[in-house]
Amino acid sequence: MIKKYFIRLFFFCFISAVFTANAQVVVSKAGSPKCALDLSGFRCSDGPSEALFRQVLGDDLKRSGWFDVIKNGKGSFSVQGTCREAGGNLTVRCQVDNMLNGAVAMSKSYDGKGAQSRKLAHTVADDIVWAIKKVKGIASTRIALVGNRGGKKNIYICDADGANMMQITHDNVICRFPEWSPDMTKLIYTAYLSGYPDVYMINLSSYERRTISSSPGLNAGAAFSPDGRRIALVLSKDGNPDLYVISSSGGNLVKITRTPYASEASPSWSPDGEQIVYVSDKSGSPQLYVVGSGGGEPRRVSWKGSENVSPDWGPDGRIVCTSRREGKYQICVLDPSSKKEEQVTTDWADHEDPSWAPDGRHIVCSKTSNYHSDLYILDTLGDHPVRLTTIQGEWYSPAWSSK
Amino acid sequence: MKLNGYLRGIVVAGFVCGLLMSSGCRHRKPTASSVSPTDIGTGGAVLSERPDSEGMRITGAEVEFVKNVLFAYDSFQITDSEVAKIKAVAEFMKANSGVRLVSEGHCDERGTAEYNMSLGENRALAVRAYLIGLGIDGARIQTKSFGEEKPLETGHNEASWSMNRRVEFGLYRK
Repeated sequence: MIKKYFIRLFFFCFISAVFTANAQVVVSKAGSPKCALDLSGFRCSDGPSEALFRQVLGDDLKRSGWFDVIKNGKGSFSVQGTCREAGGNLTVRCQVDNMLNGAVAMSKSYDGKGAQSRKLAHTVADDIVWAIKKVKGIASTRIALVGNRGGKKNIYICDADGANMMQITHDNVICRFPEWSPDMTKLIYTAYLSGYPDVYMINLSSYERRTISSSPGLNAGAAFSPDGRRIALVLSKDGNPDLYVISSSGGNLVKITRTPYASEASPSWSPDGEQIVYVSDKSGSPQLYVVGSGGGEPRRVSWKGSENVSPDWGPDGRIVCTSRREGKYQICVLDPSSKKEEQVTTDWADHEDPSWAPDGRHIVCSKTSNYHSDLYILDTLGDHPVRLTTIQGEWYSPAWSSK
Repeated sequence: MKLNGYLRGIVVAGFVCGLLMSSGCRHRKPTASSVSPTDIGTGGAVLSERPDSEGMRITGAEVEFVKNVLFAYDSFQITDSEVAKIKAVAEFMKANSGVRLVSEGHCDERGTAEYNMSLGENRALAVRAYLIGLGIDGARIQTKSFGEEKPLETGHNEASWSMNRRVEFGLYRK
């Protein structure tokens, strides 16, 4: 057995040496298994909108993680179609052929304004992902984040590829911890508008802002339930930070934890809304616990790592969190039912505030190295991390929209 | 070690509560000598509504004696070395009955910002609990956590971190 490995290793070294000697760059294709998707049959007219559409579509399909995008006519799937702008309108026809069995996997037409090339490309990319892999794409999703441009922390949102960065709050106070409403029309976040940390909800079309909680002491960490009807948050009004659930209109306060000698933080809902995972330091270090969303006996779910914080419960039931390992904060995924655990990052940097993409595969988190914080998109199936924030500034607290 | 500290806190607090309840003196204010607020932690007193305005922050010579209460990593236990700083503020508040306090909890940059919000609040609450133990009316004290948002020192080493894990006393007068 071992001998066999040695032979393989020797063979590999030999091959590598041969290629190096020929001065060819051999990139070992570490990463997730992909299917070859041929885009050579997709024709675009010459024009800036069409060129942008084609560029964004190709990037989206690569970023989805499911495909090797090729243009040599040899894919196992092939995209045929056209993209044309006329009179300010962009018309896209798109057909996906399964080259292995000859079936048509998808055939659709799209209309949009020429100025919406990006948006249209995201829609088409997600449809192609669905047609071939039967999984949700992430191209049309958005990410809420915190940036410190201008010296104060404000809330921003951008597309999943980092484009269309928009500043949402313009208050001259610290704003943090944005979370999406399930329908993506609102964000809830913590801000010091009153001088104290309070929880607010902002409507993303009208920019109208409403106070959700401004009890004495701390109001923070708010997260919408999957049906959008309740909000979990941390309040200290009873003399200690504890976990509470309120209705999204702000009433019906229910106290979930009662730990007078510990702090709770960072609630996140299970996909069915029945449970909440959160951080408590009642054991002496911050660890993850799961409790019923109506109350009950909490059970600890994190055991490895000296600290486990910032949990986010993903669409497939797995929890991603930040775990302190050998002095650094690393992203880990744990399955509360099988108790299996996997460390996603290993590089010498601090990774914080992970948030699942709706595909249950990708994760956005902040990464601090050399005292500089940027956001990265991680792939749990093995593709290399991709930097999301390329605009100058410090970026934190990302939250991926749920669709 | 830290776990021991928590357990001791819980045991002592439970014992103290039991003692107070069994003696039928639930309204008696615990005195500094009968209860060690260090051991109580933060559990207890419900927070009072925030005042409409805190008034003017007292600055200058009058509050030169005020020093930040410092904490160990991931801890909100008030250590023996910090007790005198809280007692000095208690004396000042006793002598100036119109003065209000905002107990401001802060953390160092390590750990996630969201947990540090709760940890900072617990530090602020621990100081509040200690002051209540010393006979100060809890209604005069608000707590405010800044988590890791407002470091005092900007270095990335223990020398800076130890100064940033703190409670600041904001003393206000109408």
